[in-house]
Amino acid sequence: MSATITSTWRQVAARVVRHEDWGGGHRWLDLEVPGDLPAPAAGQFVQLLLPPPNPVLLPRPMSIAGARRARGRAVLGFLYAPVGAGTKALAALPVGAELELLGPLGRGYPLEAPGTPLLLAGGRGVAPLLFAADALARAGRRSTFLFGARTAAQLVGLAEARARLARNGGRLHLCTDDGSRGRRGTVVDLLEALAPRLAGPLVIHACGPHGMLAAVARWGLAHGVPAHLAMESVMACGTGVCRGCPLPRSAERRAAFDPAATPSLYGNREYAMCCTEGPVFEAHDLDWERVE
Amino acid sequence: MTAADRRRARAARGPRRAADGPPPRPAVDLAVRIGPMRLPNPVLVASGTFGYGDEYRHVVPPAQLGAVVTKTVTVRPRAGNPPQRIAETAGGMLNSIGLENVGLAAFRAEKLPRLRALGARIVASIGGETPHELERMMEALGGEPGVDGFEINFSCPNVAKGGARYWAVPRRLERTVARLRRHTRACLIAKLSPDVTSVPELARACEQGGADAVTAVNTFVGMALDLGHMTSRLGRATGGLSGPAIKPLALARCAETAAAVGIPVIGSGGIVSGRDALEFIAVGAAAVQVGTATFIRPRASLEILDEMAAFLAGRGLASLDAWRGCLALGGRACAAPAPAAAHELAERAR
Repeated sequence: MSATITSTWRQVAARVVRHEDWGGGHRWLDLEVPGDLPAPAAGQFVQLLLPPPNPVLLPRPMSIAGARRARGRAVLGFLYAPVGAGTKALAALPVGAELELLGPLGRGYPLEAPGTPLLLAGGRGVAPLLFAADALARAGRRSTFLFGARTAAQLVGLAEARARLARNGGRLHLCTDDGSRGRRGTVVDLLEALAPRLAGPLVIHACGPHGMLAAVARWGLAHGVPAHLAMESVMACGTGVCRGCPLPRSAERRAAFDPAATPSLYGNREYAMCCTEGPVFEAHDLDWERVE
Repeated sequence: MTAADRRRARAARGPRRAADGPPPRPAVDLAVRIGPMRLPNPVLVASGTFGYGDEYRHVVPPAQLGAVVTKTVTVRPRAGNPPQRIAETAGGMLNSIGLENVGLAAFRAEKLPRLRALGARIVASIGGETPHELERMMEALGGEPGVDGFEINFSCPNVAKGGARYWAVPRRLERTVARLRRHTRACLIAKLSPDVTSVPELARACEQGGADAVTAVNTFVGMALDLGHMTSRLGRATGGLSGPAIKPLALARCAETAAAVGIPVIGSGGIVSGRDALEFIAVGAAAVQVGTATFIRPRASLEILDEMAAFLAGRGLASLDAWRGCLALGGRACAAPAPAAAHELAERAR
């Protein structure tokens, strides 16, 4: 019999306690949730259900960008861009507004993995890495942060990233596609340039557009550096039930697939569900040629 | 566990508590009988929206539901369709999952025992590309202990073979149901597609074949396009539409079906509130299935159940039976409106 999964996520009420513009078309949101909500890990996400009148039907998955506890309550932070109907309605919620939240969901970064953590962020993919940088700093580990975006204005959360790294003497390296800040080029170009100078062994934790993550995964595979990539998908339930967020497994994982050794939610040789097996995957897990 | 959870748990245990003295009577009797299956309440979770009971058990104790309809299982495991599988549309969602499932062997060896251990009433949803394949499934599972019913998925919109179109032939349906009937004494339910000329005609064929009930309806075939990328928003051209967008459509088909057959009809399609559920019961449905609502709020099914009970109690009705059919389309199998319900109707007419 295959292993069972013990779910710990919950459906809870949440209250907006901070909601502000962070520039570059992004906003920061702090939600207060019950203190007994299981503590999230960097890379995990929640489903946000907006209060009525809600212009959208399904809850919106959102990566957790920070977590702290105060006076028996927990506060979860989010960095997002109001681009669709759901996030635009979210952006209109004032401090004090109530909504519902499902979480924490999915599997986060294995920050305990050995090696010098190399955090790679592309654009708004910085959100879970701010959380990761914070968690690593609290654990007393020094990490190196590579942050890239299209333009300087898109390097959102830069000051926060810097503050989190500073606590343990971590370094922040920047790049932009147009060269308006830091090195000109992509995060992968920056990685190529810096890697020889970094003390190994390294372990990569990354988030950004899928094209960037595929390139990071290939780099990690080619150089024997473990890489953990936080993926995105359209989702309905976020809990593994609807089977709506498949990502193609690598040939290696398909060949080694053993349903009997697989927890019940993970029973598909062809596809891994982003919501429950991910959103953080190891480079070996997915077929990067088929990731869209 | 909330007070409401405890109340439902007591109600769900029902007569089994007889040895400890009489169980406390729920304010409103929601019990329902569907063929040989007796359910403590009329809220079932729809196939494909509750997995095999595992994933939601910590927020929705499966024993508190009328029944759990499992994810459709087929003879061999299916990986399902390529991404994208989900596209949200106005008031609804399109899915193109493609019957991803663990296959008969794993379902029987692993999923069923676990669901039984959770104390749920179980309706196993089975699918097949041919009558023969369905019969193989029923041969294997028909006598399985602890399975209260089978829902035959005659209506998947997302598979190339054995989908809704293939089964929309009354004669084929009738013969297939008759063949399946031979293999089980459990409740035999046919889940029908709305994308047919006449749902009642297919429902009558199922009744003739020996079905105990029909579920009306599965998702509607729909499309959504991405003009930015000039492509479908789904991995396939079409998907199945569910959610509030389809409720009026589903309600009409449920109503005409309930008026046309003598067997119970389980209403399904876009139910997200207790009032939605009561509309389906009002037009004659014996019970309802909650699907997409669970994706929005995992506890939706139990919330709907509480809302139904509160609504009926507020109307002074002692049982769901007193409400059932109060707004049925004219014709057979429809009880006259119960006094309280009739009063409500009169009020609305004013």
